[in-house]
Amino acid sequence: MTPRSTLLRWLLWVGMLVAVTAALVPARDVTEQMYVPLPYLLLVLGGSVSGGRRLGYTLAAASFFVINYYFQAPYDSIWVGKLLDFVTLAAFLLTAVVATQLLDRARVDRDKAVRRADEVDALSRLGSESLSAARAGDAVLGVAEMIRASLGAASCDIVPGAPDAHGLRGDPRVMVQPLEVHGHAVGTMVVRFVSPRPFREGERTFIDALTHYAALALERERLAAEVERAESLRQGERMREFVLASVSHDLRTPLASIKALAQEEQRTGTSRAADIEQHVDRLARLVAELLDLSRLRARSFPLAPELNAAEDVIGAAVRQCTSLAEGKHLAAPLDSEAPPLYGTFDYVQTLRILVNLIENALRYTPLDGSVEVQARREGSELVIAVLDRGPGIAESERERVFDAFYRPGSAAPDQGRAGLGLAIARSLAEAQGGSVRFVPREGGGSVFEVRLPAADVDAAQLEES
Amino acid sequence: MPHAGCILVIDDEPHLRRAIRNALREVADRVVEAGTGAEGIDLAAAEQPDLVVLDLGLPDVNGLDVCREIRRWATMPIVVLSARHGEHDKVQLLEGGADDYVTKPFSTVELLARVKAQLRRARAQRAIPADTPYVVGPLSMDLVRRVLLRDGTAVHLTPIEWNILRALVLASGRTLTHQQLFDAVWGRAYGNAQQYLRVHITNLRRKIEPEPSAPRYIVTEPGVGYRFEGAA
Repeated sequence: MTPRSTLLRWLLWVGMLVAVTAALVPARDVTEQMYVPLPYLLLVLGGSVSGGRRLGYTLAAASFFVINYYFQAPYDSIWVGKLLDFVTLAAFLLTAVVATQLLDRARVDRDKAVRRADEVDALSRLGSESLSAARAGDAVLGVAEMIRASLGAASCDIVPGAPDAHGLRGDPRVMVQPLEVHGHAVGTMVVRFVSPRPFREGERTFIDALTHYAALALERERLAAEVERAESLRQGERMREFVLASVSHDLRTPLASIKALAQEEQRTGTSRAADIEQHVDRLARLVAELLDLSRLRARSFPLAPELNAAEDVIGAAVRQCTSLAEGKHLAAPLDSEAPPLYGTFDYVQTLRILVNLIENALRYTPLDGSVEVQARREGSELVIAVLDRGPGIAESERERVFDAFYRPGSAAPDQGRAGLGLAIARSLAEAQGGSVRFVPREGGGSVFEVRLPAADVDAAQLEES
Repeated sequence: MPHAGCILVIDDEPHLRRAIRNALREVADRVVEAGTGAEGIDLAAAEQPDLVVLDLGLPDVNGLDVCREIRRWATMPIVVLSARHGEHDKVQLLEGGADDYVTKPFSTVELLARVKAQLRRARAQRAIPADTPYVVGPLSMDLVRRVLLRDGTAVHLTPIEWNILRALVLASGRTLTHQQLFDAVWGRAYGNAQQYLRVHITNLRRKIEPEPSAPRYIVTEPGVGYRFEGAA
């Protein structure tokens, strides 16, 4: 309300008081005294509604004196003759004051309700703005603009980062709000006002709600960025998989042809053909191992851990390695009386681990020496150990043998291997929640222990199945 | 020595086809060749070969579809050549009707061995009499009466173990995938018993294998399934 319109209102209502009085005074002798206060009461109520509490009180006080002076005997004096007149006056004053007060409170409540409605409206617009913007970045800008408009501020910025980073604390024209979502900081809202601005009662709640939306908008932007990043990562991963798959296919098919040609040559008696075939095999294996290692490193190696028996996978590993043993002994003694040992592991990849370890052990075992595979249960772990009586591994090399392409100094110059076997074995075990480690064998030699999650088989459930 | 009248080779790579043809001459009177899947399907119908060698990497159609198509009307063994090494691929092949597979690069000696094994199996399959005990090494199995003798001594098998053994023996020489075995023993209705297949196999091996940790009869095909090796 402008001061000018306030003055006009005061003039209007005071003028009405004068007019009513001027109209009533000539008729005061024929008017029942009890009715006089009524028009004045109407005046007071009207004044309060239109001009507020102060105008109401002023009109009430003025009416009190006017009634006393003009309408109560003795007329034209402030003296009250009868007790009843005095009571009438007092009742008028009280009624006028109480009515003014009630009206005022209703008006304040109405104003508050209107403000609330505006705020709710602003918030709902904020909500829809932050939710409906096509791009998350637009939502942040949209929400900032809404907040600026609702607070009548000069500018509003919603930025990631902690509040202290902006060095704005202490300026009374600047409101700095830390933004949080589910208790963790996501950024800062900085609202600049033209001049220092005190906040109305209840406005704090409104600002908190605005802050909440600002935080949500920022969080949405962050999540959208994250989704985008994950999507591009996934696409990159798919691309990689595709390249790996086609590389492996494109390499294997010509290798198959070379191998077939070499075998044909061999049949016609070409002596070098066997060498070609052997090298093709090595190349094929190296290709496969490199592909696997890169997939293991990228954690995109598919694993299917299932309930499996230790003796099943050990048996398959021994079967696969028997042809490589050539004059060395390979054994996996099994106590048929003891119950079978079970674990939760990927059969195929665990088989690879064991084959790698057994091949490794055979390589370092002298002719007529033996390699043994044992299984045992240790707490929650299934332990499969590959033991040899080879030269063992020097203390300084015990961890490094698990590095890709590492070949111990003691190794023969060409073992026909790239040194990936142990690296792959360890990566495969770790990918299934297990481990591979080296333990020196008592009495000389090496023990490579594979540890995998053990499993228990419920005999009762087995009968039902 | 198994022998075949006619073997069909479906492969688009001329070098590989020639090498395979030369290797197969040892067991077949005639080797017919097809360079595409469509041609292969036509030849399989026209020639009624005793065995098909099928390369999966064909230019015109998916090799697996060729396999399924032939399997719709023919029972001859199909040996697949695949550049894919994944167990999942092998499972798909077996469930698509292939009898065996050789992964590239392979040796023709290995292919020849697989082909011979399949020819032998096809012949034995026709010859298995249902009412006489099936004898393998120290084992004598009467699949109808459910009597298993090991070195002349009766061995007790649970009903599930019997069903597993029966399914394996009837498909002797051919790998049954976990799913195929599961279907044969439990049927599709069961859900959770599959994980115990490996437990039953372990128990079964302990009952029939001379050396359970180096099984001779029930052989694991890693990641694919199990195979009964008896006829060898």
